[in-house]
Amino acid sequence: MVEFRSVTKKYSNGTMALNNISVNINKGEFAFIVGQSGSGKSTMLKLILKEEDPTSGEVFVNGYNVSALKRKEIPYLRRSLGAVFQDFRLLPNKTVYENVAFAMQITEAYPKEIRRQVPMSLALVGLSKKANVYPGQLSGGEQQRVALARALVNNPALLIADEPTGNLDPDTSWEIMKLLSEVNCRGTTVIVATHEKGIVDSMKKRVIAIEKGSIVRDQEKGQYGDEVKYNQVYN
Amino acid sequence: MKLNTTKYIIKEGIINTYRNALMSLASVGVVTASMIILGLFLVITINLTYNTDNLKEQPQMMVFCEPELDDKQVMVVEQTIRNDSRVKTHVYVSKKEAFEKTKDMLGNDKDVIEGLSESFMPVSFIIELNNLADAQSVVEAFKEIPGVGKVKYSQKTIDMLLKVATWVQVGNAVLIFILLVISMFIISNTIKLTVFARRKEINIMKYIGATDWFIRWPFVVEGVIIGLVGAVLGFVAISIGYGAFSSRFKEGIEIINFVNLRALQFEVIYTFLLVGIVVGALGSTISIRKYLRV
Repeated sequence: MVEFRSVTKKYSNGTMALNNISVNINKGEFAFIVGQSGSGKSTMLKLILKEEDPTSGEVFVNGYNVSALKRKEIPYLRRSLGAVFQDFRLLPNKTVYENVAFAMQITEAYPKEIRRQVPMSLALVGLSKKANVYPGQLSGGEQQRVALARALVNNPALLIADEPTGNLDPDTSWEIMKLLSEVNCRGTTVIVATHEKGIVDSMKKRVIAIEKGSIVRDQEKGQYGDEVKYNQVYN
Repeated sequence: MKLNTTKYIIKEGIINTYRNALMSLASVGVVTASMIILGLFLVITINLTYNTDNLKEQPQMMVFCEPELDDKQVMVVEQTIRNDSRVKTHVYVSKKEAFEKTKDMLGNDKDVIEGLSESFMPVSFIIELNNLADAQSVVEAFKEIPGVGKVKYSQKTIDMLLKVATWVQVGNAVLIFILLVISMFIISNTIKLTVFARRKEINIMKYIGATDWFIRWPFVVEGVIIGLVGAVLGFVAISIGYGAFSSRFKEGIEIINFVNLRALQFEVIYTFLLVGIVVGALGSTISIRKYLRV
């Protein structure tokens, strides 16, 4: 589903964000990418979205060779996956319904289909009642759920989330993570970059830990960080 | 492009214009101002073309016979003119026609020749030459024909006027072009403010997979709406202003006659609408370019 092959990313200011990493995330997996700020986890997601191009190496997403993709083809790559961001990225001038519908409009979907899919997607995240509200009138957690509904409305095979709970309080964070987990149960591959230690630890999913641009750990049913050793010793 | 997408784009363009009402109004103001200046130049150019065309239609050379010549003698003169190979066409103007023309020309003062008969008017010929370069020698030759009183040749003055008019027109065209480029950049700058205010939206659209044109079109629609509204307002202002001006100088100034507003209307409105659309569309396309690179 997502594959990094010896990917190195060096920004023009000299920062080495990723140093020769190779990783493969399979269809239907739920993977956390963890690491401190500046470790390179956001860069990985940027490479998946082709917001940035790798300095060397190749990235494959949903069958696209992302690194070789032409500028004109980028929109189609992005339509094939859903993305959720820390800052929600909702259109402030559109209602909740319109925001979700918009992701379908850009794919030139039929209105009939839009009218069917959007309420379904909103129901999935539990926001059916807020369809006609503007994002500004919603709480952070609700906004993130709208973003999630938008990311899922086109039934993408892959969902990526960049610090989806970064702006949310712990309880709301949990709700979002549960939703992501549900989405994964329905067959969607989910990749979440985060540094929510508590959540990562208790969800027992695959954890890919990055440090200074290199993958330092890749564990099935892993935990966030150094406590792994601690836990192994004392539990 | 699907019909639904087209509908969406037009609707979005209209909504955007409306949502950024203040900014749109500012842009409309700029377009209107540019259009008024453009209209001014346009009206001047059209009037100039109209007036110089009038000049061109005026006879180049006139040969006047002595008034006391009889028909036979006039025919001899005509024969000589006809046989001259340098003459392309000649038109016979009878005494009567000349008299009527003079009366027309005098207008309200025609009582000056009241009571006179046409017999004192000379028979004349309006002559068109094959080659204007021969003018001087033809004038000399025709003066020598017995019975010819006067040969009038006004081409030089007309030529000079036409030359001046041509230069003024060229100058106008250049000014109009410069003005259009300037107003396009002003509009693009104004729309740039709109685009800048919405750069986050554009960014989000890019992230969820909108194509460049899908993002661009509503802005183009917005630009066209602004351009069109500005064009219409500019047209209204120009037609009111020109109407007032030309009705004040109904009789024209000196030798200049003003073109009727009705006749002008279509040329001006077509130009305005076209310019409004093109300038608006180009302006918005220019201003959005930078923000599509995500």
